[in-house]
Amino acid sequence: MRLADARALLPDLVTAPGEPQADQRLIEAIADWCDRYTPWVTIDPLGGALAEEGAEACSAGGFGGDAGLLLDVTGCAHLFGQNEAGERALLADLVGRLARHDFTCRAAMADTAGAAWALARYAERQADLFCPRHGQRDALASLPVEGLRLEAPILETFVKLGLRRIGDLYPLPRAPLARRFGDLPLTRLDQALGARNEVLEPRRTVPAFRTRLAFVEPIGRPEDIAAATSRLLAALCRQFEQAGVGARKLEIALYRVDGSVDRTAIGTSRPNRDNPKLMKLFEEKLGELDPGFGVELMILAAPEVEAWSGTQDALPEAGALALSLGSDGTIDLADRLALRLGAENVVRLLPRDSHLPERVQVTASVSSKPAADGAWRRLAGLKGARPTRLLQRPEPVEVTLFVPDDPPSVFHWRRHAHRIVRADGPERIADEWWRPRPDGSRPPANDVPPVRDYYRVEDDDGGRFWLFRDGPYKLAANGQPTARWFLHGFCA
Amino acid sequence: MPVISPSAFAPPVSAVLREKVRRLERANSVRQVGKAAVPTGLPAIDALLPEGGLLTGALHEIEAGAAPSGRVAAHDGAALGFAAHLMGRFAAVAPGTLLWCRRPSGVFDAPPYAAALAAWFDPARLLVVTARRDEDVFWAMEEGLRCPGIAAVLGETRATDATAGRRLSLAAEKSGVPALLLRPQPAPPQSVCVTRWRIASAPSRSTPGLHDVGAPRWRLDLRRNRFGAPSIAETPSWLVEWNDETHCLAVVPETLHGSVGARFEESLFEERLVGPRLAS
Repeated sequence: MRLADARALLPDLVTAPGEPQADQRLIEAIADWCDRYTPWVTIDPLGGALAEEGAEACSAGGFGGDAGLLLDVTGCAHLFGQNEAGERALLADLVGRLARHDFTCRAAMADTAGAAWALARYAERQADLFCPRHGQRDALASLPVEGLRLEAPILETFVKLGLRRIGDLYPLPRAPLARRFGDLPLTRLDQALGARNEVLEPRRTVPAFRTRLAFVEPIGRPEDIAAATSRLLAALCRQFEQAGVGARKLEIALYRVDGSVDRTAIGTSRPNRDNPKLMKLFEEKLGELDPGFGVELMILAAPEVEAWSGTQDALPEAGALALSLGSDGTIDLADRLALRLGAENVVRLLPRDSHLPERVQVTASVSSKPAADGAWRRLAGLKGARPTRLLQRPEPVEVTLFVPDDPPSVFHWRRHAHRIVRADGPERIADEWWRPRPDGSRPPANDVPPVRDYYRVEDDDGGRFWLFRDGPYKLAANGQPTARWFLHGFCA
Repeated sequence: MPVISPSAFAPPVSAVLREKVRRLERANSVRQVGKAAVPTGLPAIDALLPEGGLLTGALHEIEAGAAPSGRVAAHDGAALGFAAHLMGRFAAVAPGTLLWCRRPSGVFDAPPYAAALAAWFDPARLLVVTARRDEDVFWAMEEGLRCPGIAAVLGETRATDATAGRRLSLAAEKSGVPALLLRPQPAPPQSVCVTRWRIASAPSRSTPGLHDVGAPRWRLDLRRNRFGAPSIAETPSWLVEWNDETHCLAVVPETLHGSVGARFEESLFEERLVGPRLAS
């Protein structure tokens, strides 16, 4: 119906422009909020209602309409009570809390996502919204076929054939049905009835390790939040010890009374389950969290864990460096620095066996294995004199030469002329032909790899530089030399 | 009978007091540090320094000086070399990680090159921290100074922050870990550092008859020497040479430049550096 027609029918119709992005943000916020019941939350891709052994539909009432969420509450309902009572209590709690935030929603609970989806949208009586265990066959029989999450053309054909209820499909022979309509109706039917598995993809990684702490009264003071974090950490560290793992990443989520969620995460460079050390990392981050009007629930989860290496309490690995990094707090220092400055900014340097000066030095994360004892010295010994500082990208310089193949007599860099008094070289460094080029192609077999001729030069002020000529000296057709000169580093 | 006042022979009061204060300060500092100093490897310089070397648990500043012609130096390669030499001296006496904090200087960023630093210490021991702000450089240095596993901390920065300098100095004194500040340009002096050095590259000595680049030579000015022995010169200054083959730093004699004596001294010096080759 068009707006003009609607206005003609109902002159005082309230209208508002549609905001799909805002709707999307809202449904995501509600999905975040639903993490309080289960970590396994999915936004319904069909934009309908929702489902699964524990699932519910919440229609963002009023405008927008069809948004839905699917929650897998397997193993979560016992927090609300035993068996079926717990599931009922969870459903009631969810609907009640959403209603308190002024959301109209219909939530259904069933063994399968398909059944819950159909019930949430098409169940006629309130009592039908809760489908008892293994009861989906009976519960769905009286629902319209629209509850099967099918496309409109198939539904229309069903209706034309007189198949109006889901129950009408039960007695039909399966093979002709599949031949007539394809696999989809049978798949959907099997999924709804539980004969075929349906996997919901969670929005966030479902952490294997998770602790939660709910508060009777909302808390808001930073000290309280720190104390709660410390209690959660203690519980989580016990879980780690039992499973023999350590955390690489921890995430803490604050569920605020206004229904919003605030999160922050910390990372460690090696598996860690040392409560005080992790707490120290959190202390840096807790200040960023905003408790808002109060926090009613906190969840601490470990999205990334690794097998516990035991280096912290056992004897360190071979090598003095492993000892120095592991046992004396350097790794914790690196974690603290990485937390504030970013992990890519706290690095270790590893040698790489390469001719190209810029490829010799590789940065690696702190947790990587350090270079072997003396590896650097051995590598440095193989090379000629190297600059103490290497420019990240060589800078072009203008040079004046008397003899083409000689080092320049003057070079200009950043508007300064450097008159060269002494020079060493050339040291010819050829490109590594065995490596693919930056664009991924391999050089042809008869191709001469590009070479650089490096000179160490000293100007009349005693400043020492590392220059190179890009390729051998050659004259182009117009009589100009083709090779360009670059400054690549500064020597001691 | 004329009475000769004893004060006529005694040094002036101010000098006595200054000496007393110096002794007090020095005793205090050494007690707090509780560690001896690390020799720089240059006996002529160590003689002036307190405890015969660079105090660990103290802040030392190294700045790149102007070129001999007075122009602004094009780069601080020489200062970096001297800083790396000092890091190497510190690394030799204490096990642990060397923390190197720096702030990249924009487009023309030239980070230290580990293949060259390997001449002074093992780069495998380095932990390199890159910060976007000067405050973060100082913060990272301070965190490093508090960490027991760190052998020495170096910060590359242009910023002069008296408060940060004082904090670094206090943190270093408490833990006994040496802290170095490396500046690419001369900066207004900070009162808290124990020594301040100004390094400029100096022309090297070619092999006679050739125009090759010799061993790196640096002009070394000791511009501040707290707790140290007084020197005759206002700012003691040396010409030093780093020998890449023997991995040692030596003072180049430069008195009586060009005279017979100097030539004799230079020949002695060369004999000491590359003895066997000259002797043969």
